Amino acid sequence: MEYPYVQRLPKFEYLTPRTLDEAIFMLSRHRGEARVIAGGTDLLHKMKRREETPRYLVGLKNIPRLDYIDYDESQGLRFGPLVTIHAIETSSFIRHKFPILSQAASSMASAQIRNLGTVVGNISSAVPSADMAPGLMVLGGKLKIANIKGERLIHVEDFFAGPSVSVLAPDELVVEVQVPNPPPNSGMVYIKHTIRAAMELAIVGVATMVAFQNGVCSEIKIALGAVAPTPIRANRAETVLKGRPFSTKLVKEASQTASDEARPISDIRASAEYRKEMIRILSERALNKAREEVK
Amino acid sequence: MEENDFDVVGKPMPRIDGVVKVTGTAIFADDLALPHMLHGKLLRSPYAHAKILHIDTSKAEKLPGVRAVITGKDFPGIVVGFMKQYADRPPIAIDKVRHYGETVAAVAAEDEDMAEEALRMIEVEYEELTPVLNWEEALREGAPLVHEKAKNNIGAACHFEYGDVEQAFKKCDYIREEKFVTQRVAIGFIEPHVALANIDGSGRILFQGSKQSPYITWRHLAWGLNMPLDKIRIINPYVGGAFSGKHEAFDLDFCAIRLCQKTGRPVKVVTTQDEVIGTYRQRHEKHIWLKMGMNKDGTLVATDCRVIADGGAYLSVAPLNLYLIGLFNALPFSIQNVRYDAKRAYTNLPVCGAVRGQAQVIAGYVFSSIISMMANDLGLDPVEVMLKNLVKEGEVLVSGSKVSSCGLEEAIRKVADTINWREKRVKKVPNRGLGFACGAQISGTRLGGHFASSAIVKIVEDGTVNLIHGGTELGQGCDTVFAQMVAEVLGLRFEDIHIEMEDSHDAILDSGMFGDRCTVWSGHAVIAAAEDAKRKVAKVAAEMLGAKEDDLIFKDRKIYVKNNPEKKIPFLTVVRQAQYGLGQLIYGHGSWGFPGSEIADFSQGHCEHFTPSFSFVAQAVELEVDPETGKVKLLNSVAADDCGQPINPLLVEGQLDGGSVHMIGQGLYEEALYNKSGQALTSSLRDYKLPTAMDVPKLTNYHVITHDPNGPFGAKGAGETSTTAIMAAIRNAVDDAIDVRITNPPFTPEKILKALKDKKEGK
Repeated sequence: MEYPYVQRLPKFEYLTPRTLDEAIFMLSRHRGEARVIAGGTDLLHKMKRREETPRYLVGLKNIPRLDYIDYDESQGLRFGPLVTIHAIETSSFIRHKFPILSQAASSMASAQIRNLGTVVGNISSAVPSADMAPGLMVLGGKLKIANIKGERLIHVEDFFAGPSVSVLAPDELVVEVQVPNPPPNSGMVYIKHTIRAAMELAIVGVATMVAFQNGVCSEIKIALGAVAPTPIRANRAETVLKGRPFSTKLVKEASQTASDEARPISDIRASAEYRKEMIRILSERALNKAREEVK
Repeated sequence: MEENDFDVVGKPMPRIDGVVKVTGTAIFADDLALPHMLHGKLLRSPYAHAKILHIDTSKAEKLPGVRAVITGKDFPGIVVGFMKQYADRPPIAIDKVRHYGETVAAVAAEDEDMAEEALRMIEVEYEELTPVLNWEEALREGAPLVHEKAKNNIGAACHFEYGDVEQAFKKCDYIREEKFVTQRVAIGFIEPHVALANIDGSGRILFQGSKQSPYITWRHLAWGLNMPLDKIRIINPYVGGAFSGKHEAFDLDFCAIRLCQKTGRPVKVVTTQDEVIGTYRQRHEKHIWLKMGMNKDGTLVATDCRVIADGGAYLSVAPLNLYLIGLFNALPFSIQNVRYDAKRAYTNLPVCGAVRGQAQVIAGYVFSSIISMMANDLGLDPVEVMLKNLVKEGEVLVSGSKVSSCGLEEAIRKVADTINWREKRVKKVPNRGLGFACGAQISGTRLGGHFASSAIVKIVEDGTVNLIHGGTELGQGCDTVFAQMVAEVLGLRFEDIHIEMEDSHDAILDSGMFGDRCTVWSGHAVIAAAEDAKRKVAKVAAEMLGAKEDDLIFKDRKIYVKNNPEKKIPFLTVVRQAQYGLGQLIYGHGSWGFPGSEIADFSQGHCEHFTPSFSFVAQAVELEVDPETGKVKLLNSVAADDCGQPINPLLVEGQLDGGSVHMIGQGLYEEALYNKSGQALTSSLRDYKLPTAMDVPKLTNYHVITHDPNGPFGAKGAGETSTTAIMAAIRNAVDDAIDVRITNPPFTPEKILKALKDKKEGK
């Protein structure tokens, strides 16, 4: 039986690349034996529990300028792998342009953890309750992934493969997050359901983004956290509303559909049944709230 | 707040330890390091119930840097417990483990990594036994036994009966029966358990740890290590909270000393929160079947209360715990016909003992809950019913204890007015609710042979005072309170008083910090010591002033002659005359025990001198329930306590806030969960949900000042009283908001939603 208590960190070698290329080279050279560390808020805890025992940690902190946040009108938002959750939470233009990302960031953990943890780290850990995922998914966010052979771009929603499993190969690294501009006349919101008011993992997380043209819902995305093996899109729920005007009845129907699409588990935080119920309730609230936010 | 005639007592003095704590310079046990110190670690059982067939430590012993490995065999034949008559626990497991995390071996090594590596090399061969994981399994015929000696898995039981319960139920107008379940919770102090042991060439041990009642620990250590008391000295550095979880000597304390004896070097053992939350002392899970009789006018007539407490693998203070629920049937309400039956089941879970507020938290919860339910059933105002049934000042309870002072009526009226009870009860806002509750607490009691508190006051040549007392500063503020008392008696300033760490070498240790006893018991001793020193100073001063000793007044660092205020002399001048002129060093000493103090017969109930006084609290909570998600949002809490004369109103306010927030945790969020094998599921502060600052509503506090005849300056206990009402207030408010009878905290969103659904479906 695995010793059930937290232990001290296992032995590892800490590598300090000076450039991204060097970091990628190290991951390739030590393929399968190395893990990337940025804030370390997930990884170090897993190592103390012996859920991960990498021989090498590739630290990104000595690589200059990985904490950039760039924006231009045509390309949208781009930010680097060392951008902390706190930086997203407190950026005034992100709050203005991409409010769902600030909402998700500010809902997470404690100020201390938000100061250390990175958005890319939150995504890369690929836990079903990753708070940054649903918001990035409804915005159509992409991840630039690099390995020694080159780079590829994938949608955030295609990144996850299971609980704590992603499509990221052991020699790959997420080097940038790209978020296109939201469509005109759109509104977005992230609702996180928890027991306490702070320091919580989501029981259910619901992100919605809606856009309207001539009173008709021209674009809609719904993403759910903590209710399936990965963060998921509620595609069928979206089709209920897409191309139609919002009505109370349709919003309720879409919310019920989102609930039907989820595959939650029962754990110490909530039962599967309760989670299903909460998706219905919170999807309805999130859709109505996003509708109100349309500008 | 009433004005009083005191200069220092009753004033909101800043904490005496405030500066060192906020500047991070207070020394806690884990801050200590001694030359050549080794690091100790404990190997814990992953099984809840198993025989230990064999432990092979040979590989661990051979590891570089490992200096000693010990197992249960290093404590041969020793069984310890909170009290001798309840001893049931080896210092560490020998032949059997009875709960998850029980220690089976310990190592000391040059650093923590080496120590952990050694733990991994220890091979323990277990034979798994079927674990008994709840009281129903434990009490079933033929259940596996947790202890061979306890044939039916019952470790303690109580039965009391007062009045004529059968007749009373027959005659009363209305009877309600209700089942309550209060969950197992962890304690929630910030500083994990730490033990640092050192040994000198003569074999004398110096133990420094994070302990709540060093005197209790000291005796336990001598017992568990089979050593004479004088071979152990215990010093207690600053403590980061205890809430009754740090009285006993634990595995780490015994092991630190044994490892130190084996190696001849200092050994420090530091636990993690993961170990503390999942493995050490918790509050009992209690199943309470309560039957209550009330007349149409709201008069309480009879109560029949049956309790089964699920207590884990060892007894700890469980017999007292059971007794207190019985004694508090139904304090602060007066009932003449009381039947109480309680059992405490052994289970293969971590040990439940006392937690802040003890079992009075649970008694307060069930009685204020059922009274509120029954008042509503009869169309009465719960607050009026509570007022109608209050114990009165001077009343002798059915159990024999006397209520020496009670300001609860005024407290109830103050709280009801402040929260606007009468108006809000009529003008209801949908999904908003108001709940009211009252609680009571003892001011300490006698648990064993030694029960008194003692103190020494030493007058220093510069006119300041060093106070040595047997209380323990755990964060509750006793050092500040005692400094105020000494300054008041000697007419000095608060900042003239100095207090150092408790040390068994020169402090006369106390019987312990529990049950709201510190201010009253140790406080009386401190005052007696100060009075003793005052008499000695007065003798010298009288001669210098040509006055009678009895005519002297100590005030403003001066000594005055009564009715002749021009005749005065500085305190310092008298001290100098005593020391330099007469060669007299002035010490005062004092001790205090509640006169007539008896050890209660825990199984029978009756006890006339159980506690010097009772403290009280009234509390109202306003909250809102989201009927779609079940989530509760606390909006407002108003509380008023009667803790006699507050020595320091600022600290009492802190206690009232702290106790309320602590029990918001048990009311809404916290539950210590174990899986089907008995392993901890909630041992991190992420999963074990203590309330955060963000969960705290607006808190409004009042103090109703009574002057208790048995209290020092009229004071009563305060720190635990504050925990006894809010859980019922929250429950009653949820009930008021959405009209559901929910009785099993924590009131999580999921439970509340289920209750709403059941109501809709007519269940």
